[in-house]
Amino acid sequence: MKINGAFVEKILIKFIQKELSRFNYKKGILGLSGGLDSSVCAVIAAKALEPKNVIAMIMPYGDSFFEDVKDARELVQLLGIHSKTIDISPMVDPYFARYPTDDRVLKGNKMARERMSILYDFSAREKALILGTSNKTELLLGYGTIHGDTACAINPLGDLFKTQIRQFAVYLGIPQRILKKKPTAGLWNGQTDEKELGLTYDEIDKILFQIVDKRKTKEEIVTLGFNKDDVEKIIKMIKNSEFKRKLPPIPKLSERTIGHDFLFPYDWDK
Amino acid sequence: MTELQSIKIYDNFSFMKVGLVQISPYLGDLEKNFGLHLDFIERAKNKNVNLLVFPELSLTGYTLKDLAQEIAIKPEKNPFFDRIKTLSREISVVLGFVEEKESGMFYNSAAFLSGGKILNIHRKVFLPNYGMFEEAKIFAQGKNFHTFPTPFGKTGMMICYDFLHYGASYLLFVGGSDVIIVVSAAPGRGTSDKEAYLTSRMWELMGEAISRFSTAFLIYCNRVGFEDGVCFAGGSFIFSPSGQMLAKASYLDEDFLIHEIDLEEVRMARKKWSYKRDEKPEVILEALKRIVSKNED
Repeated sequence: MKINGAFVEKILIKFIQKELSRFNYKKGILGLSGGLDSSVCAVIAAKALEPKNVIAMIMPYGDSFFEDVKDARELVQLLGIHSKTIDISPMVDPYFARYPTDDRVLKGNKMARERMSILYDFSAREKALILGTSNKTELLLGYGTIHGDTACAINPLGDLFKTQIRQFAVYLGIPQRILKKKPTAGLWNGQTDEKELGLTYDEIDKILFQIVDKRKTKEEIVTLGFNKDDVEKIIKMIKNSEFKRKLPPIPKLSERTIGHDFLFPYDWDK
Repeated sequence: MTELQSIKIYDNFSFMKVGLVQISPYLGDLEKNFGLHLDFIERAKNKNVNLLVFPELSLTGYTLKDLAQEIAIKPEKNPFFDRIKTLSREISVVLGFVEEKESGMFYNSAAFLSGGKILNIHRKVFLPNYGMFEEAKIFAQGKNFHTFPTPFGKTGMMICYDFLHYGASYLLFVGGSDVIIVVSAAPGRGTSDKEAYLTSRMWELMGEAISRFSTAFLIYCNRVGFEDGVCFAGGSFIFSPSGQMLAKASYLDEDFLIHEIDLEEVRMARKKWSYKRDEKPEVILEALKRIVSKNED
């Protein structure tokens, strides 16, 4: 699972440059939380597009995650990129005043989709392409909000496991404060991914690597010394979240149907 | 006059300049790719290149899906091919395209043009159709690996995945190829602590082994760039008939690699290593027949 920082950097930079030029964009825009993934994405975007062409949207809910906002702003300064801070509580609170809930996941999902909505709005206002910040681990586990934080135009980090993002962040020289932070989806205060998932990212990624990259069966992975319950839990999470990684199915009626046999490349004529 | 006699063989022609065009073609845009090819042919002529090699599907891009049927070409009726044929009087060119050989039959093809003619069209035999690949869904399968005469000696061609089936190289070896040309659109796969995709090593290993044991030049031209997130790895190369890497293009970046090779090296390698002289295709053929006839479900 080792990566070569310089090699990964080169590929991601070329990818971002190519995709933007293909779709006639000069600028990239991303949601910057102050966490590791979005910080890595911001650094790469600044290298690929020049800092003046990168817009970081900082979108806290009220004063929660104050420290993260501070880290995000410091990174913006360090990189010399543009940023805009928008508090999402005036948009989210009226909704929950009308449709109250104590379910923290519901609230967190609504906030993630509010951020997405702002990001797409500013993407159009600024003519900037949205760079996703979801890593391979969370995409595989479905540990993200559909049409929320997973929504983007291109996703530069989507083939790097969380632990590989950490390796990459060290190579990139990401500030220590961000590097040492406990990963959180930011759904509520005090939430950490590893507490919620019940496994560390080190453990999760080792198992995911065997399942996905090495194409091993559950039995084969258990033989390697991994805990059977952990492996089963992860396989279940992958299966249960396949819908988040696909376009919705269309029932086939005609002779040629979108997604079934009307098949063209994403980069068609670009 | 035999086909061989009809081709101009240069007197005392030993040195030749090979150009490898490691580009990122425009996906599905024939016009732009025509322009790209003409540009590189012009540049190559200015540098006295004798043989210019473009990568697999250089006229179309790779990730074609349903587009393949829309941009297929019949080379004998195509104005662009007519133009390249004319230019090939001055410089030999290998390029890749989607060929509609017969109506409704689409092939992943590579053409060798020289002396104003198409000397050979190779139609990809081994169509990758696993994991990220779906070529057998798009293309008809080629049926042969020809060795054909060229101004630079007997030559054979393969397209990408053909080269990973060593039986294909064997046919070119036994067919007498002195120069083996592989055109490729090989995506990079697998990371490590090295500054290269893991799969790049696979192509280099094959290049070294096949050149060494065929005592032939091995010219491999890969592409670069991204299509739908897939990154083509570049790293085009030339190996000598004794298995020495003579030149290598960069990984990931566009490159125009020009290298002069000495065709006399084929003879030198075969004086030293007798693989070709001692080969027994008739034994292999009979053994293969026995194996294939016993092959049951």
